[in-house]
Amino acid sequence: MVTLDELADTSLLQKPSAEGFGLLERTASNYKSLDTFSLPKDRQYQQQFADIYFLRLTKIKPAVEEVASAAWEGTILGGETATKVDRVLDVRQGQLCWVAGTVYMDMPLKPSVLEDVSKDRWISAPTTVGHYYSENGGESIMLEDDSGRIRLVGAILKDYFLVTGCIIAVMGTENVNGEFEVIDLKFADLPPQPERWSLSKPSAADGASKKPKLKGEDVEMADVPAASRPSKKIALVSGLEFSGTDTSYAMELNLLLEFLLGEALDPSAQSELTHISRLIIAGNSIAKPSHDDATTTAAEKKPHKKYGYDSSSYNPLPSQLLDTFLSTLLPTLPITLLPGELDPANTSYPQQPIHPAMFPRSRSYTAAPVTAPEEAQQQQQQQKQPGWLDNVTNPWEGEVEGWRVLGTGGQNLDDICKYIDSDDRLGMMEAMCRWRCCAPTAPDTLWAYPFQEDEPFVMRECPHLYFVGCQPEFGTKVIEGPQGQMVRLILVPSFAATREIVLVDTETLDVSKVKITA
Amino acid sequence: MDKYNKFLAENVLTEDKVVTYRLLSRALQVHVNTAKQMLYDFHRSQNAKRPGAVHATYLVFGTKKDDDGPPAARNGGDVDVEMTSSAPEAEQPTTVVPTSTLSLVPEEQLEETLANYEEVTSIHVYSIGPHPTKDLALLVDAANEALSLDSSDYQKSLGPINNPRVRRRERQGPGLKAAAAATTAVNAPAKSAFPKTALAPASGKVKEEPKPAQSVQETAEKASSGPTRKAAPPSKRGAGSGIMQAFSKAATKQGQVKKAAESSQPAAPSGEESMQPLSDDGEDDEELPQPKPRSISGTKSKKQREEELRRMMEEEDEEDQASEEAETPLEEEPMEEDLPAPEPAKEQETEVVTSSSNGRRRGKRRVVRKKQIMDEQGYLVTIQEPGWESFSEDEPPPTTKPKTTSSAPAAQAGKPKKGGQKGGQGSIMSFFSKK
Repeated sequence: MVTLDELADTSLLQKPSAEGFGLLERTASNYKSLDTFSLPKDRQYQQQFADIYFLRLTKIKPAVEEVASAAWEGTILGGETATKVDRVLDVRQGQLCWVAGTVYMDMPLKPSVLEDVSKDRWISAPTTVGHYYSENGGESIMLEDDSGRIRLVGAILKDYFLVTGCIIAVMGTENVNGEFEVIDLKFADLPPQPERWSLSKPSAADGASKKPKLKGEDVEMADVPAASRPSKKIALVSGLEFSGTDTSYAMELNLLLEFLLGEALDPSAQSELTHISRLIIAGNSIAKPSHDDATTTAAEKKPHKKYGYDSSSYNPLPSQLLDTFLSTLLPTLPITLLPGELDPANTSYPQQPIHPAMFPRSRSYTAAPVTAPEEAQQQQQQQKQPGWLDNVTNPWEGEVEGWRVLGTGGQNLDDICKYIDSDDRLGMMEAMCRWRCCAPTAPDTLWAYPFQEDEPFVMRECPHLYFVGCQPEFGTKVIEGPQGQMVRLILVPSFAATREIVLVDTETLDVSKVKITA
Repeated sequence: MDKYNKFLAENVLTEDKVVTYRLLSRALQVHVNTAKQMLYDFHRSQNAKRPGAVHATYLVFGTKKDDDGPPAARNGGDVDVEMTSSAPEAEQPTTVVPTSTLSLVPEEQLEETLANYEEVTSIHVYSIGPHPTKDLALLVDAANEALSLDSSDYQKSLGPINNPRVRRRERQGPGLKAAAAATTAVNAPAKSAFPKTALAPASGKVKEEPKPAQSVQETAEKASSGPTRKAAPPSKRGAGSGIMQAFSKAATKQGQVKKAAESSQPAAPSGEESMQPLSDDGEDDEELPQPKPRSISGTKSKKQREEELRRMMEEEDEEDQASEEAETPLEEEPMEEDLPAPEPAKEQETEVVTSSSNGRRRGKRRVVRKKQIMDEQGYLVTIQEPGWESFSEDEPPPTTKPKTTSSAPAAQAGKPKKGGQKGGQGSIMSFFSKK
């Protein structure tokens, strides 16, 4: 309970005094962006998707088998010793064994390419169903590898989250129906976690090493001790959804801008805000275009003159607003921008960075474009100097203040939610980490690029911080791995829906949030 | 100090505006925190004179009772954590997340809002306006007004948080201004390139050459020497006057070029008349050397096209001829800008003269044909395909126009004639409307 009287002599509720306010300085952000998910510029879409599954299986299977053999080696059940079977097809009826493979979920409402083909639908529309499972059941779980596929049954399957594409090992026997009765099941669990500062160096050392390279920055290196102050923060926000039509949260967006700029609030709070060293926007910065307004119907009557493009139906306002937001914030705060489902980037995972041409005012803060011949040499430079506005891929991996960070725009988690009749999104996030795959449902139900050589969704290294953007509500927890790995999971709520942003302390990885109401 | 009183009195009391601290700060070039105090002071002094004269909104920041601690978990904020089933070993006590709340409240609701706060770390006046603020969304306009006053050096002088590490990249390409300059500059080369492409085949073609190999070489030479001379005047003028030049050029070029060509090259006049349209609307040229199949396909496609185009492009038909002519150079310009150099070179080599006797030269030349076909789905598709077209035409020295020579095959002679009469920049549309 706070009353007005208590606040009567707060510094800003008095006459302006002659003394000025000092300038505050924003803490430096120690940041390194990894290009784990960037695609080649000349990408082909002729390949088959099967290679993704194959690559994933070959990458994760050894880890799963290791876990499984540690758990099940020499297990004797009913007088029979469990034996390892290499391929799914080698499972013999009645024999107690364990085998690793990829899960495939056959669900009644799941879009199926075979169905599309049989019904002569050649253009696959984005799925409209809210979920793939059906209330009356009818789903079956299979385990497959490159040899074949076997149906899994057993009560234990209900205890775990399972989606298409995750790699598991199961122990059990094949019954007379040719189904595999699962007694126990194992995941790969968290991958090895790198040490903090494994890719970059803490600011003091970093400043020293950078010094020869950046002559112009010598002045600011003088205040390196200031950077070692205890609590730096990074701000996570998603779903800003700048809209041309919906202004219901425009004021909140304004307040958010003032808050991050540090213009709002009083001097003491402002000095707190200087510790926010980076803003990460996790997707959906631009709202879904509204189709119901009158302008579109009017436009339909008009004849399309140029290639069917009608410029009057295009509303540039959302991207202008986003550009203004970014360009106002950028002089004081570096920003990492992930694309999301609604953003002007490619649809399929991994989404590539939003093109800087979308931001005429902010683009001078982005990294310089790389032309093909100098790509190799520039890549080195670029890794040292990511753009001040770093428009990155979704999912994105990087190192912020020494912590390995993995973040997505939310589609991966949203798609998993369609498989599982549960609201436990944090649990699903955790499951993703334990599966060692940040987008298991790609390419089955989550559209993805047909990778041939590499499967980047496999988590090779365990992140310290894993966030998923554009979620219906906030959530966080810390999970631990068998080798003492600790992962901070964060569900970043959609700002348009919740008006909340998340602040992460970069020393403790503690999380706090700020709610903005207008 | 009185400056702000005057500014606020003017804007709020007289002009009925809402003024936010950001707007005030930018308008008066004062620190945002000073601006907040100014607003507070003005609000207090005005309301002391006359209660209710101005109305303020406050920005409150702190921790709210409801949103803090265990109640948040009960509300469902963090409950999810408890339901983990796949990894029981990672079970942790529900993380209580400290939540700060930033609220913008009108002064009328300030007290009740404050009552919901556990702790207020910061409070200040956000805006003042002449009327009570009912809809806070209306403040957006006022807030945006501040942004319009923003300048790049604002942050350094008045913004509270400074970041010296900010990096901007230097433009590698030409900047906006440079780009604008470049487009005007490009206009000129584009224009000079345009007559070049149009005329290059013309001057070459009409030349009589006994041997094909030699002719190719020579035509190339001629073409390159001809157009450069001709192109020079337009490019000079074009540099001065921007895009309008493109319109006037189509008309002026002809006469001018003709003059220049006549004096320098005897081949040019007839060539220009007969060939220029051909190189432009190559759709009536065909690849087969025999006249018979050519004429068949010609008539068929003629009828078809007439019908289809009437249906498809009614609006374009309505446009008058003059605009068509003006449009042509406009449309072609971007293409020329992209590849001004290679195009002329290509066109120069597209002709092989096979024989030349008693005043006629015959051969084949490379043309781009437009073909219209109906695809499986019933759509009409126009495809462009390069092909060879045979031709036979007058020797250059007799200056008679192709239409006057009776010995030419009917179709062959007819076509250039049509084009020639029409004028230099025969667009594809004028071709159809003529028939």
